[in-house]
Amino acid sequence: MAEVTVVESWRPLAAVLVSGLAVAFIVASHRHQNVRESWSVAAAVGKFLIVASMLPGVLGGMEYRWALGMVPGLSDEFVFGIDLALRADALGMLFATLASFLWIFTALYSTGYMRGLNEPNQTRFFAAFAASLSTAIGIAFAENLVVIFLFYELLSIVTYPLVAHDETDEARAAGRKYLAYTFFGGGFLVLGGTVLTYWLTSLATPAGVSGVAAGESTATVTFGEMAEPLRVVFENGLAPPELLVLAFAMLVLGFGTKAAIMPLHSWLPDAMVAPTPVSGLLHAVAVVKSGAFGVSRVVLYVFEPELTAELGMHIALASLAAFSFLAASFIALRKDNLKRRLAYSTASQLSYIIMGVALLVPTGVTGGLLHIPAHAFMKLTLFFCAGAIHVETHTDDISDMAGIGKRMPLTMSAFAIASAGMAGIPLVSGFVSKFYMLIGALRMGDPAYAIGEPTAAGFIFSAALILSGVLNIVYFWPVVYTAFFESEDRHDAKPLVEFPRGGEQEAYGVIDDVHADGGGPLPDGGDEGPADEYVDSHEDADGAASDADSHDDVHHHGPPPDGWERRSPRDESTWLILVPIAAIVTGAVVLGVIPGNVAFLDLAIQVAEAVTGQGVTL
Amino acid sequence: MSEAVPALLIVLPLVAATLPLLIGLVRQRTGWSIAAVVLAAETGLAVWLAWLVYGQGQRVVHVLGGATFGRKDVVIGGQETEGFIVGIELVADALSGLVVVLIAIVALAVLAYSRRAGPRGNAFYSGYLLLTGGLMGVVLTGDLFNLFVFLEIVGLTTYALVASDDSPDAAVAALKYLFVGTVGASFYLVGVGYVFVRTGTLNVVDVSRSLAGDPAWIDGTLYSEPLVAASFAFIAVGLATKAAIFPLHTWQPDAYSMAPDAVTVYISALVSTSAAYAFARIAWFVYTPAFFEVNRLLLDAVLVVAAVSVLAGSLLAAMQRRVKRTFAYSSVAQFGLLFIGIAVAVHPAGGEAGTRFAIYGVAIHLVGHGLMKAGLFATAGALAADANARRVREYAGLAKSHPFLAGAVAVLGFSLIGVPPTIGFVGKWYIALAAVQTQLWPVVFVVFASTLLTLLYVARLLETLYFDYAPEDTPAHAEPSRPVATDGGRTLSYGMVALAVGAALAAVLLGFAGAELTAAVDPVVRAVIDGVPEVVTNG
Repeated sequence: MAEVTVVESWRPLAAVLVSGLAVAFIVASHRHQNVRESWSVAAAVGKFLIVASMLPGVLGGMEYRWALGMVPGLSDEFVFGIDLALRADALGMLFATLASFLWIFTALYSTGYMRGLNEPNQTRFFAAFAASLSTAIGIAFAENLVVIFLFYELLSIVTYPLVAHDETDEARAAGRKYLAYTFFGGGFLVLGGTVLTYWLTSLATPAGVSGVAAGESTATVTFGEMAEPLRVVFENGLAPPELLVLAFAMLVLGFGTKAAIMPLHSWLPDAMVAPTPVSGLLHAVAVVKSGAFGVSRVVLYVFEPELTAELGMHIALASLAAFSFLAASFIALRKDNLKRRLAYSTASQLSYIIMGVALLVPTGVTGGLLHIPAHAFMKLTLFFCAGAIHVETHTDDISDMAGIGKRMPLTMSAFAIASAGMAGIPLVSGFVSKFYMLIGALRMGDPAYAIGEPTAAGFIFSAALILSGVLNIVYFWPVVYTAFFESEDRHDAKPLVEFPRGGEQEAYGVIDDVHADGGGPLPDGGDEGPADEYVDSHEDADGAASDADSHDDVHHHGPPPDGWERRSPRDESTWLILVPIAAIVTGAVVLGVIPGNVAFLDLAIQVAEAVTGQGVTL
Repeated sequence: MSEAVPALLIVLPLVAATLPLLIGLVRQRTGWSIAAVVLAAETGLAVWLAWLVYGQGQRVVHVLGGATFGRKDVVIGGQETEGFIVGIELVADALSGLVVVLIAIVALAVLAYSRRAGPRGNAFYSGYLLLTGGLMGVVLTGDLFNLFVFLEIVGLTTYALVASDDSPDAAVAALKYLFVGTVGASFYLVGVGYVFVRTGTLNVVDVSRSLAGDPAWIDGTLYSEPLVAASFAFIAVGLATKAAIFPLHTWQPDAYSMAPDAVTVYISALVSTSAAYAFARIAWFVYTPAFFEVNRLLLDAVLVVAAVSVLAGSLLAAMQRRVKRTFAYSSVAQFGLLFIGIAVAVHPAGGEAGTRFAIYGVAIHLVGHGLMKAGLFATAGALAADANARRVREYAGLAKSHPFLAGAVAVLGFSLIGVPPTIGFVGKWYIALAAVQTQLWPVVFVVFASTLLTLLYVARLLETLYFDYAPEDTPAHAEPSRPVATDGGRTLSYGMVALAVGAALAAVLLGFAGAELTAAVDPVVRAVIDGVPEVVTNG
């Protein structure tokens, strides 16, 4: 580990608490909408400024630490031998800067969204939103496994009201599923892994480790201090290696549940019933990222690259991630509901982060960590776009979006740019991170994790990365294509979505009469019939349709009878929605064009060099 | 003077219990005021005792009966008595101090709650004071037979209080409790009888020393003798019945759910807690880890039963429709967890660290669980009084009309699950840590699974509270024409809400006091590790 100066400071705590405090003000001013929303925005800006004020110091090799003992009359200890402490280090700052920055725009956007739809329970919504940001920053700055567990659990709790916001049966079921998964991940696996790790590190006591006096207990859960005792235990055979693997697996899968690693992902698409800003927050900023962040912490700061490689867990984890992003991409291909397609895209992109970190080579780790902000900017754009479409036109399904580009030009342009970035096309943020990861995969030496000849595993993982990039194009391009290059009354069938698996003889069989509108029955009905049937059977199988159907009664969705009206980018929606979209997509491009001038890459490189002890080179 | 504090803590409420009845002959409505004054004084005494024990580091001992009795070096029939006691001692040490404070505070708080919630009547207040005195006795006595006496005082007054609102259901529940509880107490008494037969003493410290073979008139340790092993088995079964561990829990859900709300709050927080405390005291200090090293099977049996209790209690709790029954079965599970902790503390496989963490866990969870359950039952009672909601589905949408009570349920529920930063997390953390130290993986699994299982019933309740609309045709809404309340229309008092919210706040604040609590329990840890029956702080 590189030399760092640790400075005592209240700023990490302030960054956590500022939005927690805002919760009280939000609830107190529930009668005055404008005042209430100002608190959200003010807290967001304040939080970002506090976090940003630590950025120069952290980039200069400092760390800011707050501990409970700084409150007069209290000791540092939270439970026996474990401090309640927050520490702003490079990795924490990466996540905290990202989350606090994006919250500013999410706060504005959600105001526009919630008012645009006249949603009920807005006070609860904004209060829970602010609280969830508090806990996300807490996760970023947690100094040890117990503190991260604390905030991880609180995050589950405060985001639950957001998922179940609609109070419909479906929303409650989604909320239940969300709690079951995250509590299983958080309550069972993370806590179990933490306890196991604490016990395993204590076993090194007879042998002793550096920095701990002889005879003193070596038990610890502090990030960056666990690897050494664990190595002593592993090398001296003080515990069966299976237990070390078990601890690793429990921690990684526990955090991985929130990062929607593939077999544990199913809560994520269901949570799409939540209002779109929540989906954006869940997907891009707080929840799933805290999962990916947790996995990074476990690999890089609990077990650290050396021990992870010795246990052979990096190959297992990278394989799981590769399976996860490929499988999720294939599922995304067949989702017609835009938010669901985005959900599976999220599940796939998060596994990139895990893959990058699991490569254990400096370049790969940099790429994986850089993908945290890169994906956040792009995915938030995509969700904001989906939300804007929903607010303005109540359209949720891709098959209803033909020609929507003229109704919402700015929104769909932003969507096009962000989805290009997702696929890893240069000049958007996704390219930079994926490029680092690809180089990292090719350099994956086994088992010494040094820069070496590409190994078989490295080739396979890089091939998987490229294949997944292609799949990204396959599932995002149709959206862009249908929005800009098709029209309401003339559009092709979507074979992957509408036809049965395995293809259909009469592909492109929907030949509309020039004068018929898209939805009306044709005089003979022969051509339209089968396609409709396919749609129905698909929706039945999916289960997503019930939501869309129940909306149908209330709102009209899809294009109006006389087609989309043409609007200019300035009046396609309210500024509360358009400004955040424009700002975030600009951020995604900035990250792609000048990554070196934005702090994220420097922070990622700083982390990667510190944990691997090697320089990051391309 | 300070030696008298333990005696005063017991005697004051016992004697004062006669006052509501006596003064009631002259002036009718004085019971509550008398009880309030007595319990305020009691709380003062408890704080004094806590200061002596934790502040001064004393082990406060009071010998009943004056100068005639006590530990004296005399020679009887050519044998040194080696300081064995004549008479009964009351002992307050680092383990009992916490529970004494809990009892005093909960007793006072529930009294505030019962002013509006009822039941009223001077007989109730007399019983209430009697119960408080009995609980103090259970916690403070240093004598095994005396413990039985206090357990019976607690038991009998609890039977009476459960039935105190004169409803037939409550009477049946009380009768059931009477039968099962008395059988449990008898088991305990048989166990104590065996001990007395073999060692000739009833004092906790002296029995412990005799079992270890210290005195000259005993050859070697007695741990391997069947009589001694049987005595532990009887005592364990008796106390497990009182604490409502799974197959012996049958009295508890009925008693909790049928009793008047204020009584439920009180007994759920303290009665089983005192039995679990007694079990911990006896297992740790009378039998000591050395006994369990010889009798591993007994310890394993306790662990198995406790683990089953955790699983069965949680599942049964999730299946209940009534809120009070849900919480009642939840207690079955939580006491299972406590018994796991108590057994792990003396488990030879755990080593010193296992003992340390288990004792931390048991002490903290014992107090924490009492607090959480008091708060939860208080909220359930308050919601029943104000919204006539007793079933889970009747809680639909109550969060909007009762934000504070709903918030209290949420915080306390999460504390019960073990979400940090709450007292529930701290207790569970230590018990889990201790279980891992013993490397008994099935037990470890049960401890962690208890988190998920608790989530089953807490989440269901919270979801109904916050995310369900009130159905329009429930009985609660069907009969607004009937006069609901008898005293001025408002059935909810500040005392009732304050108890619920106060418990929730305390559960969170104590979550940050983990270090202070463990420091307080440290002397207990040292005593158990050293195998010493006296918990001495200074030394």
